Amino acid sequence: MPVFQWRQSWDQFRDLEREMDRLLESIKLPFHNLRQQHQFPAVNFYELDDKYLLVAEMPGIVAQDVELTVAGGMLTLAGNRTAPPDVSDDAFRRRERPHGAWQRSLSIPERVHEDKVTAEFSEGVLSVHLPKADDVKPRQIPVATS
Amino acid sequence: MSQEIRKTSEEQNEQQPSTGDTAPPSRAVITAPIDIYETDEGLVLMADLPGVTTDTLELQVQDNKLTIFGRVSPVAPAGARLLHREYEQGDFLRSFILSDEVDYDGITAKLNNGVLEVNLPRMPRAEPRRIQVDGD
Repeated sequence: MPVFQWRQSWDQFRDLEREMDRLLESIKLPFHNLRQQHQFPAVNFYELDDKYLLVAEMPGIVAQDVELTVAGGMLTLAGNRTAPPDVSDDAFRRRERPHGAWQRSLSIPERVHEDKVTAEFSEGVLSVHLPKADDVKPRQIPVATS
Repeated sequence: MSQEIRKTSEEQNEQQPSTGDTAPPSRAVITAPIDIYETDEGLVLMADLPGVTTDTLELQVQDNKLTIFGRVSPVAPAGARLLHREYEQGDFLRSFILSDEVDYDGITAKLNNGVLEVNLPRMPRAEPRRIQVDGD
């Protein structure tokens, strides 16, 4: 059945989609959607030898509208994703993308050079680089020979 | 779907459109969240595709099927240790069956900040016309 028919067939489409979801889940096809199960924006946190890297998926956000602060071992991200302007709720046929103001705070596991934190934003993905403080970086310990 | 399932590279090759690039094996395929709303002109579809560029996006209409496929390059460098994960790195794939009311030739799309916006205009209705009836 066509998905993009106007109003009259929307309920039928939803019934069909529910049925398809149930079917796909039962046969364990490799499709999944982790992004809908987490708050916006979803983040991954990585550790490298000399820094931590936070990657946040925030499609539809303009870099200038992201507020990023690091203080007291906490990294805070805040922003706002606006819904399409001049579109009433009745006009929506499907809504899966979250909108509105959001804020997330994450604790940083070890001390970092807070004044050396940098961030870049590309194609809706924010990367925050948190350089480790010198005393938590891995050190090579020389082994003396007798 | 709640289960997190990895696909084999063989399955992936069968289901993903080819972009000509060499894909790493065992990448996940993820359903992109979408909004669809109606306007006076037709329908607008917006899909979240973070990390996808115009070069790695394939938007295809074949027969009456609209397919969105976006390939994502890894952001974290090799050797990075994952401490906390809320999303899985993967490529986006989603497809829809379009109704005959969509003017396929008029479909336009743009990609900004990881959000794809597809405009699906409604097929213009034929104007009523008077049919001349000839008598004997």
